[in-house]
Amino acid sequence: MREPVWEFLIVNYLFLGGLSAGLYFASALATWIQEDGRSAYPRIARWGALLAPWPVSLGSALLILDLGKPFRFWKIFFHFRWRSPMSIGSWLLLAFTFLSIAYLWAWLDQEERYSLQARIPEKLRTRIPARVQRWLDLDASAWRRNLAMVGFPIAVGVGIYTGVLLGAVQARPFWNTNLVAQMFLFSALSSGTAALVVARLLDREPVELKEMRFLYSMDITLIVLELFIVLPYLIHGELSSLAVKQALAQVLGGPFTIVFWMLFMGVGLLLPLTIELFEFKPVILGKGTFHIQPRWALTAGGLVLFGGYMLRYIFVFAGQATGFR
Amino acid sequence: MATKTLKSSKAIRRFAMVIDAKKCINCKACVVACKAENQVPLGVFRNWIDEEASGEYPNLRMSFDPEQCHHCADPSCVRVCPTGASWQRKDGIVLVNDDDCIGCKYCIIACPYNARYHNPETHTVGKCTFCSHRVDRGEVPACVETCPSKVRVFGDLHDPKSHLHQLLATRRYEVKNPQTGNGPQLYYLL
Ligand code: SF4
Ligand code: SF4
Repeated sequence: MREPVWEFLIVNYLFLGGLSAGLYFASALATWIQEDGRSAYPRIARWGALLAPWPVSLGSALLILDLGKPFRFWKIFFHFRWRSPMSIGSWLLLAFTFLSIAYLWAWLDQEERYSLQARIPEKLRTRIPARVQRWLDLDASAWRRNLAMVGFPIAVGVGIYTGVLLGAVQARPFWNTNLVAQMFLFSALSSGTAALVVARLLDREPVELKEMRFLYSMDITLIVLELFIVLPYLIHGELSSLAVKQALAQVLGGPFTIVFWMLFMGVGLLLPLTIELFEFKPVILGKGTFHIQPRWALTAGGLVLFGGYMLRYIFVFAGQATGFR
Repeated sequence: MATKTLKSSKAIRRFAMVIDAKKCINCKACVVACKAENQVPLGVFRNWIDEEASGEYPNLRMSFDPEQCHHCADPSCVRVCPTGASWQRKDGIVLVNDDDCIGCKYCIIACPYNARYHNPETHTVGKCTFCSHRVDRGEVPACVETCPSKVRVFGDLHDPKSHLHQLLATRRYEVKNPQTGNGPQLYYLL
């Protein structure tokens, strides 16, 4: 079997890209849902907006560093190849990164924006053209909801793209199924939600019950959806052609079995699901009162993130070891 | 799928290779010739010989299968390349334009025949070119010329007078893993 040519930088990139997409998605949802004419979960929305641009930027930087010729990366944007997932994905990532920065700007308070601008060295600041300055002074908070709406499809697109990049390669049967894109998408959205659980709990301002209810119901839904994709992926694969069956052997008895079942399925998916369901039980059953136990919630959030990383690790490495033979 | 049928009279050429693997004695002269001809760096190869042992003692059998890029009719390496550095000539030869390659290695992963490698010196991707520089001068690839047991036959599928065409018209053959959908153009005689 050949040596893998895509390694940890790509794993990180897929994870970070997905994480940003999830953060944006969850934040946009929190912005979009209204209560008495304003967004119902402003702290969640704001945290999502503040965090979203960074993972994807770091991930893209890693991807560029992983190129054999990093200084030529711009060539991607000068040759549009619509049949290449990487070409389409690069445009998508570019659009998403700019959008998430605009969204972050919209979620900053007026004073925060001013103080950020004040940090720009005097010489440069006075050179900002008046037209741009007028834009910067605009109260962008009215734009939050619009940006959230525009961002939904783009964030979902980025989440899907991280899966399609692998799924569209027919030479690697482990990836080349129509379930990988959804698997990566739901895992991405779930990571974003989990990251917000963690962020909100570490926040100075104590978390509200209704916020936790929002995040928990979202994350539980997403994990369940992910399970409903991972299981058919395995079952359908086992009932598929020989090449696919041989590819699946990577996680069914092969070198990635333990990582897949223990670290991804167990620690990264079922364990956080159990914790969240247990915490959420009063709401689901309608009996008892819903408390927040920060320690459990933090654990669950951390595990979801870990599981998301493991999923990418397994797919990137196991997939490259498969082929037709 | 590419076929050996003849397209209209003076159609464009379509280069391919016939491999009579039964004649291969695993001398690796083709591998050496390719390395020398194309200055392939240490540690990576554009062609190689797959060895397979079968049967049970004492009825053992060793078979050798020359391998390289199949210059596919519908090459997935070209499809996934984000810059168009991987491309296919009208005559079917699949090449990498070194100046446009950013070294993302997507094509290496997307090739079902594992025919591509990351060049450790240029940090771009390399592969068999069917010795296009020789072909354009009217010569055959270096591996074909050098093979002492005449395992390899290079030629134009569209030319009914070519040795390659005649072999395919009269002998039985197979292509490797047609289920990849790539339309491989190395024809292995049975
Ligand atoms: S064998 Fe691989 S490198 Fe050669 S044309 Fe086919 S897909 Fe491309
Ligand atoms: S490594 Fe080079 S030739 Fe291969 S897909 Fe990337 S840019 Fe194209």
